[in-house]
Amino acid sequence: MRTGLKVLFVLASVLIAVTVFSKDTVLVWFAGTDKSLVDCVDRLIKDFEKRNPDIDVEVEFIPWGELSVKLTTAFAGGIGPDIFMHGQAAVAGFVENGVLMPLDNHLDAFEDIKDFGDVIETGRYKGNLYFIPIYGTGRLLAYRTDLFEKAGLDPTEPPMTWEQLKEYAIKLTEWEGNRMKVAGIDLEVPSQQVWGTFFVSNGGEFFNERFEPTFNSPQGIEALEYYTDLVRKYRVYPEAGLTKVANLDPIIAGTAAMAFVTAETMAAAKKYAPDVYEKIRLSFPPARVKRATFYSFGGFMISKSTKNPKATVRVLSFLTSKSSIAEISYVLGGIPARKSAINDPRFGSDPVISMFIEGMKYAFWNPNVPFWTRARDILSQYIERAVRGTMSPKEALDKAVEEVRKLK
Amino acid sequence: MKTAILLNRKIARAALAFVLPVLVYNIVFRIYPIAYAFYLSLTRFSGFGDPRFIGFINFQELFVDKDFWSSMIRTLQFSAAVLPANMLLSLLLALLINRKMFGISLVRAVCYLPVITPMVAASVIWMWIYDPNVGILNFVLNLFGVGPVNFLGNPSTALYSIAVMRVWRGIGWNMIVYLAGLQSIPKELYEAASIDGATSAKRFSKITLPLLGPVHVYILLVGFASTLQTFTEVYVMTQGGPISSTMVVGLLIYKTAFDYMNIGYASAMSFVVGSVIMLTSILALSRRKDVAL
Repeated sequence: MRTGLKVLFVLASVLIAVTVFSKDTVLVWFAGTDKSLVDCVDRLIKDFEKRNPDIDVEVEFIPWGELSVKLTTAFAGGIGPDIFMHGQAAVAGFVENGVLMPLDNHLDAFEDIKDFGDVIETGRYKGNLYFIPIYGTGRLLAYRTDLFEKAGLDPTEPPMTWEQLKEYAIKLTEWEGNRMKVAGIDLEVPSQQVWGTFFVSNGGEFFNERFEPTFNSPQGIEALEYYTDLVRKYRVYPEAGLTKVANLDPIIAGTAAMAFVTAETMAAAKKYAPDVYEKIRLSFPPARVKRATFYSFGGFMISKSTKNPKATVRVLSFLTSKSSIAEISYVLGGIPARKSAINDPRFGSDPVISMFIEGMKYAFWNPNVPFWTRARDILSQYIERAVRGTMSPKEALDKAVEEVRKLK
Repeated sequence: MKTAILLNRKIARAALAFVLPVLVYNIVFRIYPIAYAFYLSLTRFSGFGDPRFIGFINFQELFVDKDFWSSMIRTLQFSAAVLPANMLLSLLLALLINRKMFGISLVRAVCYLPVITPMVAASVIWMWIYDPNVGILNFVLNLFGVGPVNFLGNPSTALYSIAVMRVWRGIGWNMIVYLAGLQSIPKELYEAASIDGATSAKRFSKITLPLLGPVHVYILLVGFASTLQTFTEVYVMTQGGPISSTMVVGLLIYKTAFDYMNIGYASAMSFVVGSVIMLTSILALSRRKDVAL
């Protein structure tokens, strides 16, 4: 009898100990496997766990290219993460598939949510917030001062309008026989991002509030005519496209004089071609009706199937705090999603990053529609057809809209 | 009698023990996934939540899906470009190395090297070769005043440029298969033909080619199945572009499943492609019973 009581006592003690000392586990998937990111996150998580001993954070790093496949298979297998990083363009699709937990009821848990400014809207879909942006990548007009001088252009006066951009691009294009030696501008056909910059600056919108595609509007057609003319009429960009040279973008390699570049391109120039980096200047993209530039954001979402919503929100709150966003953005070379980051000397003292942070005021981003990935591919394909002259800009956009409508 | 039954049982148990691992492996990793994929092809499934059974609607939609059929035709074009060149060149190489001469082992190893090169690495190397600015191919063309040609950026050349790379990569394996076929042809046949005055061309056309028949069928079937599943090189080199000119069916299935999150529809596509491979194989095998499988 006494032995039985002893066993019972030990079992009860173990049970109490397990209950009292057990931790909530939160699994976080980070996109990217860069060592600096791994080290940074490791440091951040250790700090969080020290301050929150009741939460155990498990972190996995997934290469960007494998992220969609791994998320799909993990969620299908019921072993998905509680928090995961992804691009903003995926939000609507995830919501429609019932994957994401709305964050609206937990906004108080996040540090100074107003600090995100309009960028927080990237994560809103059908009125609810599902995504907190961490860092972004934008596109600003970059130009080579040496090639400007060679073409007799003033490097302190970048093109500010569509007309100027066209004139400058014509002057900057260099030929060697029938071969284009230097393209006036890198238009990155068939990227819909560069065409989108012209489209949105012309007052266009990709979709209306009912998710009807509207990019075949007069603004869209005019933007595509301009874009196509740059290639076919003014021949400032080769019809077959520009390729990277030894993994360096054409503007760094000197095969393009102007380009819409990201902060990553500038970082690559600084690292691999510092002499060229000194000759590249940035400006905001030329305006038509307004000034606009494409930005995309990576950030965090919470899975609807998270078993510990409270603990998960606490972890997300920490990961999206001012200091965490600054740390993560810094190691990734991205543009921090919070406006206050400009006060961080690591960003504020960097003229390139400062300019990208400033450029966020002109930002537009991928539309929050659930079929955007497919719509984007269709749009890119028809933009390319127009540029290659197999369709007129109007035909191409009408056809693209017709196909995208079927996706609804 | 009783001893015989016991012995048979013992043998059966031992046989089962040997067969069981393969059986379990095939059920878990082959039969179950195929059966489950077939089930998914009858559902609307994004990968999240539960699949919703919809019967044969995916197959009905697939039947009128012009993107799918144009990618199928493109894939068949790719097969038609790769297979004849691959078979011809690998047979020629096999004939070349089927002789005793100094350094032949090195030649064989060099010819086989592309087979063991990972597809991603091979694709990146060929992207450099084709590069219009710094690629060696354009450098050579430039010496003759041609180019530069943007092989992978032009819709009329992109698919065939990838086909060339694929031929290069597949030759080594087929060469070894042909070599094995050549070495299995009895020497006496050639000796007898020589005594009868047959020229080397006659010996090749009347002995070598017909006796390699089963090997041809094997290489053709395996090659056809393999080219229909083409994915990695297209994914790395062109992502299906320009203007979908390299959007082969394997890449379309991947994009449908994981970019567009339509796993049910992608499964239906996989089943159609799988059926084409299976029907072709059955048709080919029913005509030749002596295929070297």
